[in-house]
Amino acid sequence: MSDYLNIAIIALVGLVQASLQLNLGGLILLYHASIGKHRRRKTRYLAKSYIWGAMAINFLAVCASCFIIDRIFSGVMDTKWILITIGALLGCGIIMWIFYYKSGSGTQTWLPRSFTRYIRRRARETNDNISAFSLGLLSAFGEMPLSLALYVVAGNAILLTSDKYQVLAAIFYAILTAMPMVVLKLRIKSGSNVVAAQRWRSKNKRFTRVISGFGFMILGWFILTYWVL
Amino acid sequence: MRKRVSYEYDREGIKQHVMRTAKSAGVPEGWAAQIAERVAKRTDAWIRDKDLVTEGDLRKVIAKELDKIAPDIAFAYKNHDKII
Repeated sequence: MSDYLNIAIIALVGLVQASLQLNLGGLILLYHASIGKHRRRKTRYLAKSYIWGAMAINFLAVCASCFIIDRIFSGVMDTKWILITIGALLGCGIIMWIFYYKSGSGTQTWLPRSFTRYIRRRARETNDNISAFSLGLLSAFGEMPLSLALYVVAGNAILLTSDKYQVLAAIFYAILTAMPMVVLKLRIKSGSNVVAAQRWRSKNKRFTRVISGFGFMILGWFILTYWVL
Repeated sequence: MRKRVSYEYDREGIKQHVMRTAKSAGVPEGWAAQIAERVAKRTDAWIRDKDLVTEGDLRKVIAKELDKIAPDIAFAYKNHDKII
């Protein structure tokens, strides 16, 4: 199979992961807390550290996934496990449609209230780059139940690409997952504010939910077509 | 049953909270301070003849006053705990 096709699968996985909302929500919380008490420049550094944190855990998780797949299957996953992963992707798609957002106004996600309270508190207490980096790690980690299947697919696709492109593919994946946060950062730098971003999220939450759900399903169909059939 | 806790009315705390919210909506410092002062005056007037109020009622009064001044700040105030 060509490298282009595997890179396309990695790109699709990255985009589906980018459509998950916890990382972006965490960044909005960080902006909200930081703009009120710090200078703009410090807020910019905190946001940058947060994005690096989220990218770092996605990069490390996909590398870990590559390592585990390589150890267990001595190369790439066999058909039975690919089918199980496709099932998990379809399940995640349905979960996105039905359970991802809590009912009511706002963009509260399925996460337990104690966990979201903890992230809110951490965002309020974040005053240095290390804390912001850790908050980025934590918020990406919080979405792990949904992103686990994505890491497996990305890991397998990376192992299927040529050796010389594997590290680049993992970096490409990590960058793609951070795109919504980078766009938000650029929007704020160019004069917009977090309230406008949150308003957009609230107004379009049904749209983002449908897109994410379809993303999982299309990814499942894509790998069924190219890896199994 | 959850234990009820009561606090003293904290005018300064309300002002600080409104100021932080206003600044996160992109409002300059001086203007944010004016908005916070106006909201605090409104809550002072509302609470004057009451012995005990709930936090929810106080938040509603603040949100209503912010809605009159700047809907963006009111949105941020009302939705701060509904972001994730």
